[in-house]
Amino acid sequence: MLRQAWLIAAKDLRLEFRSRTAFLSSLVFTALVLAIFNFARDPTVLSGTDLAPGILWITFCFAGLLGLNRAFALERENRTLDGLLLAPVDRSALYLGKAIANLVFVGTVEAVALPLFAIFFNVPLWPVLGPLLGIVALATVGFVAIGTLLSAIAVNTRFAELMLPVLMLPFLVPPITGAVQLTARVFAARPLAELSGWLRLLVAYDVVVVVAALLVFEYTLDE
Amino acid sequence: MTPIEQAQRALERSRILTLIALGLLGTVYVRAIWFTPVEAIQGPAQKIFYIHAPSAWSAFLAVVVVGLCSVLYLMLRDARIDRLAASSAEVGTVFTTAVLITGPIWGKPIWGAWWTWDARLTSTLFLWFILVGYLVLRSAVREPRQRARFAAVLGILGMLLVPFIHLSVKMFRTLHPQPVVMNPEGPTLPGQMLATLLFSFAVFTVLYAGLTWQRYAQSALEDARGDARAEGAR
Amino acid sequence: MTPANGGYAVAAYVIAAVLYVGYAAWLLRRGAKS
Repeated sequence: MLRQAWLIAAKDLRLEFRSRTAFLSSLVFTALVLAIFNFARDPTVLSGTDLAPGILWITFCFAGLLGLNRAFALERENRTLDGLLLAPVDRSALYLGKAIANLVFVGTVEAVALPLFAIFFNVPLWPVLGPLLGIVALATVGFVAIGTLLSAIAVNTRFAELMLPVLMLPFLVPPITGAVQLTARVFAARPLAELSGWLRLLVAYDVVVVVAALLVFEYTLDE
Repeated sequence: MTPIEQAQRALERSRILTLIALGLLGTVYVRAIWFTPVEAIQGPAQKIFYIHAPSAWSAFLAVVVVGLCSVLYLMLRDARIDRLAASSAEVGTVFTTAVLITGPIWGKPIWGAWWTWDARLTSTLFLWFILVGYLVLRSAVREPRQRARFAAVLGILGMLLVPFIHLSVKMFRTLHPQPVVMNPEGPTLPGQMLATLLFSFAVFTVLYAGLTWQRYAQSALEDARGDARAEGAR
Repeated sequence: MTPANGGYAVAAYVIAAVLYVGYAAWLLRRGAKS
């Protein structure tokens, strides 16, 4: 099953990087959001470090939503799902493949956004890079896992581009809250004990979401 | 009896239940306002609690039914289960709205602000978003079996999400404890107040049942009429 | 000295009643229409 998943992911990603428009647009959009955030605060009143975690994660949120949107825009254009369903593909592999492709896409955008964020807001990343990357990975996995599943539903609805954020945003509250809290603490070099509660929340969320998605994904496909 | 006649009979009976429930709601009002003592520290505004908390209870009932029906539908694929889920979701939204409105009206005199991101009210806010999202999804899918399937998936996911939201909100809140001007619920409610509260809980349970049944019967009637039209057209 | 916040209670009770009776009435009208 994993092999099938990799193949599906690779196919999606190849399609993706052949045109590069979606990826480049996402990068530009993310950079713009970061830049605009500069004007959304009063630098004389609040130090950059107070808002920084929130700014980072809202930016990632937007980038992630864009990434998920383009994934199924691709879907609607090429009707790739119909083709895949005809093949003897394990349903879980289908979900996993799409999720991995989304993860790679969103992860790459995040990888570019992070240094940009460090530059724009004067946040020293090197000392905390390890833990920070861990947090980003955890939250992004949860984000992509639920987003891929909801995309499969949303793509079949009227006003699909609007439906996905409406359905998804409540599901982002636990991972984003956790991610912002953890990021803030990591920036402030807090001891691990202070992070453990939120870490457990993120991990538990990721596990529940991935397992649930694997179980119910087949119900989002037409029989 | 034809399906349409069956549905009509059910609708009439459900209306009676709803009427009874609304009448009982009236007696709750009367009892809470005139036959329950005023709380000394909080004043008359405390009485909002007798409507606010039972509304939350009904909302909770509604959500549990939606979650259960979602699981059952995916297992049994019975359209009636889906209809119950949809009805419960709509009624649940009404109750959740009531909680979100009475909460701040209670909060303003007690806590000094309309909205304080209090853990329970914030969780309720997101419950509202989940329910509305559920209803919006249903309205955006045309084919009934696909709609039922998608709704069931979302119902299950929503049910799984609720404890996580509550946990996140609670953990977030303990970082920023709000100064509590008065303790809204106190350690125990004296006898008369407790009796009013329990009576209200019971009435709101009946109200949930009546409204959901009525909504269900309404939906069944519409479906039966639609089927008859389709038959006639053939 | 109990605070004079009865107005809030009235507002909440009225709005709740409007919500519940209103929804029931809306269901009724919908039934009559279809």
